[in-house]
Amino acid sequence: MNKAKISVFYRISHWFTYHPWLKVISFLLAVLVWFYVRGEISKFNY
Amino acid sequence: MNIFVLWKPAIEILILWFVIYHIMLFFEGTRAIQVLRGIVILLLAFFVFQNMGFLILDWLLTKLFAISVIAILIIFHPEIRQGLARLGKRHLFGTVLREEELDFILSQIVKASEILSRDKIGALIAIQREDSLTPYTESGVIIDAKVSIELIQTIFTPGSMLHDGGLVVQHGRIMAGGCLFPLTASQDLSRIFGTRHRAALGLSEETDAIVIVVSEERQDMSFAYQGRLHQDVSPGEMLTRIKDIIKIKKENE
Repeated sequence: MNKAKISVFYRISHWFTYHPWLKVISFLLAVLVWFYVRGEISKFNY
Repeated sequence: MNIFVLWKPAIEILILWFVIYHIMLFFEGTRAIQVLRGIVILLLAFFVFQNMGFLILDWLLTKLFAISVIAILIIFHPEIRQGLARLGKRHLFGTVLREEELDFILSQIVKASEILSRDKIGALIAIQREDSLTPYTESGVIIDAKVSIELIQTIFTPGSMLHDGGLVVQHGRIMAGGCLFPLTASQDLSRIFGTRHRAALGLSEETDAIVIVVSEERQDMSFAYQGRLHQDVSPGEMLTRIKDIIKIKKENE
Protein backbone atom coordinates (compact mmCIF):
# COMPACT_ATOMS: atom_id res chain seq x y z
CA MET A 1 0.00 0.00 0.00
CA ASN A 2 1.75 3.14 -1.19
CA LYS A 3 1.36 6.54 0.39
CA ALA A 4 0.97 9.52 -1.94
CA LYS A 5 3.29 12.49 -1.42
CA ILE A 6 1.66 15.88 -1.00
CA SER A 7 2.67 18.46 -3.58
CA VAL A 8 4.31 21.76 -2.61
CA PHE A 9 1.34 23.66 -4.07
CA TYR A 10 -1.07 21.67 -1.89
CA ARG A 11 1.04 22.44 1.16
CA ILE A 12 1.09 26.19 0.40
CA SER A 13 -2.67 26.35 -0.32
CA HIS A 14 -3.37 24.21 2.75
CA TRP A 15 -1.40 26.65 4.91
CA PHE A 16 -3.71 29.49 3.87
CA THR A 17 -6.96 27.55 4.19
CA TYR A 18 -6.26 25.57 7.37
CA HIS A 19 -7.53 27.49 10.46
CA PRO A 20 -7.29 30.96 8.84
CA TRP A 21 -8.92 32.70 11.83
CA LEU A 22 -6.56 31.06 14.26
CA LYS A 23 -3.69 32.42 12.18
CA VAL A 24 -5.16 35.95 12.17
CA ILE A 25 -5.84 35.95 15.93
CA SER A 26 -2.42 34.52 16.76
CA PHE A 27 -0.78 37.15 14.52
CA LEU A 28 -2.65 39.96 16.30
CA LEU A 29 -1.65 38.50 19.66
CA ALA A 30 1.99 38.24 18.53
CA VAL A 31 2.01 41.92 17.52
CA LEU A 32 0.31 42.87 20.80
CA VAL A 33 2.80 40.89 22.88
CA TRP A 34 5.77 42.31 20.96
CA PHE A 35 4.67 45.94 21.49
CA TYR A 36 3.85 45.25 25.17
CA VAL A 37 7.27 43.72 25.86
CA ARG A 38 9.01 46.56 23.98
CA GLY A 39 7.08 49.06 26.11
CA GLU A 40 8.06 47.25 29.31
CA ILE A 41 11.70 47.05 28.25
CA SER A 42 11.84 50.77 27.38
CA LYS A 43 10.51 51.60 30.88
CA PHE A 44 13.69 50.19 32.38
CA ASN A 45 16.00 51.66 29.70
CA TYR A 46 17.65 48.35 28.77
CA MET B 1 13.41 54.49 7.46
CA ASN B 2 16.18 52.03 6.79
CA ILE B 3 14.72 48.63 5.94
CA PHE B 4 17.42 46.88 7.98
CA VAL B 5 16.04 48.49 11.14
CA LEU B 6 12.78 46.61 10.59
CA TRP B 7 14.03 43.09 9.94
CA LYS B 8 14.78 42.22 13.56
CA PRO B 9 11.30 43.17 14.92
CA ALA B 10 9.73 41.42 11.90
CA ILE B 11 11.59 38.18 12.67
CA GLU B 12 10.72 38.48 16.37
CA ILE B 13 7.02 38.95 15.56
CA LEU B 14 7.11 36.04 13.09
CA ILE B 15 8.65 33.74 15.73
CA LEU B 16 6.08 34.90 18.30
CA TRP B 17 3.31 34.33 15.74
CA PHE B 18 4.57 30.80 15.01
CA VAL B 19 4.73 29.93 18.72
CA ILE B 20 1.31 31.45 19.61
CA TYR B 21 -0.35 29.84 16.55
CA HIS B 22 0.96 26.39 17.44
CA ILE B 23 -0.08 26.77 21.07
CA MET B 24 -3.61 27.69 19.92
CA LEU B 25 -3.63 24.91 17.32
CA PHE B 26 -2.60 22.42 19.98
CA PHE B 27 -5.55 23.37 22.18
CA GLU B 28 -8.07 23.61 19.29
CA GLY B 29 -10.72 20.91 19.56
CA THR B 30 -9.90 20.08 23.19
CA ARG B 31 -11.56 21.09 26.46
CA ALA B 32 -8.63 23.43 27.16
CA ILE B 33 -9.70 25.79 24.34
CA GLN B 34 -12.32 27.40 26.63
CA VAL B 35 -9.61 28.20 29.20
CA LEU B 36 -7.38 29.56 26.45
CA ARG B 37 -10.21 31.77 25.16
CA GLY B 38 -10.62 33.13 28.71
CA ILE B 39 -6.91 33.91 28.92
CA VAL B 40 -7.01 35.72 25.54
CA ILE B 41 -10.01 37.82 26.70
CA LEU B 42 -8.17 38.67 29.96
CA LEU B 43 -5.07 39.64 27.97
CA LEU B 44 -7.09 41.96 25.73
CA ALA B 45 -8.82 43.49 28.79
CA PHE B 46 -5.40 43.99 30.35
CA PHE B 47 -4.11 45.96 27.34
CA VAL B 48 -7.30 48.04 27.19
CA PHE B 49 -7.13 48.90 30.92
CA GLN B 50 -3.46 49.74 30.69
CA ASN B 51 -3.85 52.04 27.69
CA MET B 52 -6.92 53.77 29.15
CA GLY B 53 -5.13 54.42 32.43
CA PHE B 54 -7.39 52.30 34.69
CA LEU B 55 -4.80 51.89 37.42
CA ILE B 56 -6.71 49.65 39.86
CA LEU B 57 -7.89 47.17 37.20
CA ASP B 58 -4.44 47.23 35.60
CA TRP B 59 -2.83 46.46 38.98
CA LEU B 60 -5.31 43.66 39.70
CA LEU B 61 -4.79 41.98 36.32
CA THR B 62 -1.00 42.30 36.59
CA LYS B 63 -1.09 40.46 39.95
CA LEU B 64 -3.53 37.92 38.51
CA PHE B 65 -1.19 37.13 35.61
CA ALA B 66 1.74 36.68 37.98
CA ILE B 67 -0.19 34.01 39.88
CA SER B 68 -1.79 32.50 36.77
CA VAL B 69 1.61 31.43 35.35
CA ILE B 70 1.90 28.83 38.15
CA ALA B 71 -1.79 27.94 37.85
CA ILE B 72 -1.46 27.35 34.07
CA LEU B 73 1.59 25.13 34.61
CA ILE B 74 -0.38 22.99 37.08
CA ILE B 75 -3.69 22.90 35.13
CA PHE B 76 -2.09 22.19 31.76
CA HIS B 77 0.65 19.89 33.02
CA PRO B 78 -0.39 16.87 30.89
CA GLU B 79 -1.02 19.00 27.77
CA ILE B 80 2.32 20.81 28.12
CA ARG B 81 4.16 17.49 28.51
CA GLN B 82 2.43 16.04 25.44
CA GLY B 83 2.99 19.24 23.47
CA LEU B 84 6.72 19.24 24.13
CA ALA B 85 6.92 15.56 23.19
CA ARG B 86 5.05 16.27 19.95
CA LEU B 87 7.19 19.31 19.14
CA GLY B 88 10.31 17.23 18.73
CA LYS B 89 8.64 14.49 16.72
CA ARG B 90 6.52 16.44 14.28
CA HIS B 91 6.85 15.32 10.67
CA LEU B 92 7.22 18.39 8.50
CA PHE B 93 6.78 16.42 5.29
CA GLY B 94 4.12 13.84 6.09
CA THR B 95 2.05 11.83 3.68
CA VAL B 96 -1.62 11.65 2.74
CA LEU B 97 -3.53 8.62 1.59
CA ARG B 98 -5.39 8.33 -1.69
CA GLU B 99 -9.15 7.90 -1.43
CA GLU B 100 -9.13 4.25 -2.52
CA GLU B 101 -6.39 3.46 0.02
CA LEU B 102 -8.38 5.16 2.74
CA ASP B 103 -11.53 3.22 1.75
CA PHE B 104 -9.62 -0.05 1.84
CA ILE B 105 -8.08 0.65 5.25
CA LEU B 106 -11.40 1.73 6.76
CA SER B 107 -13.20 -1.30 5.36
CA GLN B 108 -10.52 -3.60 6.83
CA ILE B 109 -10.81 -1.94 10.25
CA VAL B 110 -14.62 -2.02 10.27
CA LYS B 111 -14.73 -5.62 9.02
CA ALA B 112 -12.25 -6.67 11.71
CA SER B 113 -14.33 -4.84 14.36
CA GLU B 114 -17.44 -6.64 13.12
CA ILE B 115 -15.76 -10.06 13.44
CA LEU B 116 -14.42 -9.16 16.90
CA SER B 117 -17.85 -8.06 18.14
CA ARG B 118 -19.42 -11.25 16.76
CA ASP B 119 -16.78 -13.31 18.61
CA LYS B 120 -17.41 -11.34 21.86
CA ILE B 121 -13.92 -9.80 21.84
CA GLY B 122 -13.41 -6.22 22.96
CA ALA B 123 -11.35 -3.80 20.85
CA LEU B 124 -10.21 -0.19 20.83
CA ILE B 125 -8.89 1.30 17.57
CA ALA B 126 -7.84 4.94 17.09
CA ILE B 127 -7.52 6.35 13.57
CA GLN B 128 -5.28 9.39 13.41
CA ARG B 129 -6.49 12.51 11.61
CA GLU B 130 -4.69 15.88 11.83
CA ASP B 131 -3.58 15.63 15.46
CA SER B 132 -0.64 13.34 15.99
CA LEU B 133 -1.22 10.24 18.11
CA THR B 134 2.52 9.66 18.49
CA PRO B 135 2.49 10.54 22.23
CA TYR B 136 0.00 7.70 22.76
CA THR B 137 1.98 5.21 20.69
CA GLU B 138 4.85 5.70 23.13
CA SER B 139 2.83 4.01 25.86
CA GLY B 140 2.36 0.90 23.69
CA VAL B 141 4.41 -1.36 21.45
CA ILE B 142 5.38 -0.21 17.94
CA ILE B 143 4.09 -2.54 15.22
CA ASP B 144 4.29 -0.44 12.01
CA ALA B 145 2.48 -2.93 9.78
CA LYS B 146 -0.10 -2.90 6.97
CA VAL B 147 -3.72 -2.77 8.08
CA SER B 148 -5.33 -6.18 7.76
CA ILE B 149 -8.33 -7.94 9.29
CA GLU B 150 -6.16 -10.85 10.40
CA LEU B 151 -3.63 -8.67 12.21
CA ILE B 152 -6.30 -6.67 14.06
CA GLN B 153 -8.02 -9.90 15.09
CA THR B 154 -4.72 -11.37 16.30
CA ILE B 155 -3.86 -8.31 18.35
CA PHE B 156 -7.19 -8.27 20.18
CA THR B 157 -7.41 -12.03 20.76
CA PRO B 158 -7.61 -12.51 24.54
CA GLY B 159 -4.31 -13.74 25.87
CA SER B 160 -2.20 -11.85 23.32
CA MET B 161 0.30 -9.44 24.85
CA LEU B 162 -1.28 -6.39 23.21
CA HIS B 163 -4.98 -7.13 23.52
CA ASP B 164 -5.43 -5.01 26.63
CA GLY B 165 -4.97 -1.53 25.21
CA GLY B 166 -5.67 0.63 22.19
CA LEU B 167 -4.50 0.15 18.61
CA VAL B 168 -3.23 3.25 16.80
CA VAL B 169 -3.62 3.58 13.02
CA GLN B 170 -1.30 6.28 11.67
CA HIS B 171 -0.62 7.19 8.02
CA GLY B 172 -2.58 4.14 6.88
CA ARG B 173 -0.56 1.68 8.95
CA ILE B 174 -1.07 -0.07 12.26
CA MET B 175 1.53 1.90 14.15
CA ALA B 176 1.24 0.60 17.72
CA GLY B 177 -0.76 -1.72 19.95
CA GLY B 178 -1.39 -1.91 23.68
CA CYS B 179 -1.49 1.89 23.91
CA LEU B 180 -2.94 3.77 26.86
CA PHE B 181 -5.51 6.46 26.03
CA PRO B 182 -6.68 9.21 28.40
CA LEU B 183 -9.97 8.47 30.15
CA THR B 184 -12.82 10.96 29.87
CA ALA B 185 -13.91 12.75 33.01
CA SER B 186 -17.40 13.22 31.54
CA GLN B 187 -20.25 12.43 33.90
CA ASP B 188 -22.70 12.10 31.00
CA LEU B 189 -21.43 8.67 30.00
CA SER B 190 -23.74 5.91 31.18
CA ARG B 191 -22.53 3.54 33.92
CA ILE B 192 -23.00 0.61 31.55
CA PHE B 193 -19.90 1.72 29.64
CA GLY B 194 -16.56 0.57 30.98
CA THR B 195 -12.99 1.81 30.78
CA ARG B 196 -12.68 1.02 27.06
CA HIS B 197 -15.50 3.40 26.15
CA ARG B 198 -14.14 6.02 28.58
CA ALA B 199 -10.75 5.76 26.88
CA ALA B 200 -12.32 6.09 23.41
CA LEU B 201 -14.23 9.19 24.47
CA GLY B 202 -11.21 10.59 26.32
CA LEU B 203 -8.97 10.34 23.25
CA SER B 204 -11.66 11.87 21.02
CA GLU B 205 -11.88 14.83 23.43
CA GLU B 206 -8.13 15.39 23.43
CA THR B 207 -7.53 14.87 19.69
CA ASP B 208 -9.45 14.80 16.40
CA ALA B 209 -8.95 11.04 16.07
CA ILE B 210 -11.82 8.67 15.24
CA VAL B 211 -11.87 5.95 17.89
CA ILE B 212 -13.71 2.68 17.24
CA VAL B 213 -14.71 0.67 20.28
CA VAL B 214 -16.07 -2.86 20.32
CA SER B 215 -17.89 -4.04 23.41
CA GLU B 216 -17.28 -7.64 24.41
CA GLU B 217 -20.30 -7.76 26.75
CA ARG B 218 -22.95 -6.23 24.51
CA GLN B 219 -21.30 -7.29 21.22
CA ASP B 220 -21.93 -3.88 19.70
CA MET B 221 -19.73 -1.42 17.83
CA SER B 222 -19.49 2.29 18.61
CA PHE B 223 -17.17 5.11 17.65
CA ALA B 224 -16.13 8.31 19.36
CA TYR B 225 -15.36 11.53 17.53
CA GLN B 226 -14.86 15.05 18.89
CA GLY B 227 -15.99 14.07 22.38
CA ARG B 228 -19.20 12.35 21.21
CA LEU B 229 -19.92 8.65 21.41
CA HIS B 230 -21.95 7.24 18.51
CA GLN B 231 -23.36 4.10 20.09
CA ASP B 232 -24.34 0.75 18.63
CA VAL B 233 -23.90 1.47 14.94
CA SER B 234 -24.01 -1.23 12.28
CA PRO B 235 -20.79 -1.97 10.33
CA GLY B 236 -22.19 -0.43 7.14
CA GLU B 237 -23.38 2.68 8.94
CA MET B 238 -20.07 3.03 10.76
CA LEU B 239 -18.10 2.84 7.50
CA THR B 240 -20.34 5.45 5.84
CA ARG B 241 -20.28 7.82 8.82
CA ILE B 242 -16.51 7.61 9.28
CA LYS B 243 -15.99 8.22 5.54
CA ASP B 244 -18.37 11.21 5.74
CA ILE B 245 -16.46 12.68 8.70
CA ILE B 246 -13.16 12.37 6.84
CA LYS B 247 -14.63 13.83 3.62
CA ILE B 248 -16.32 16.75 5.40
CA LYS B 249 -13.09 17.55 7.20
CA LYS B 250 -11.12 17.38 3.94
CA GLU B 251 -13.59 19.73 2.24
CA ASN B 252 -13.39 22.17 5.16
CA GLU B 253 -9.63 22.19 4.95
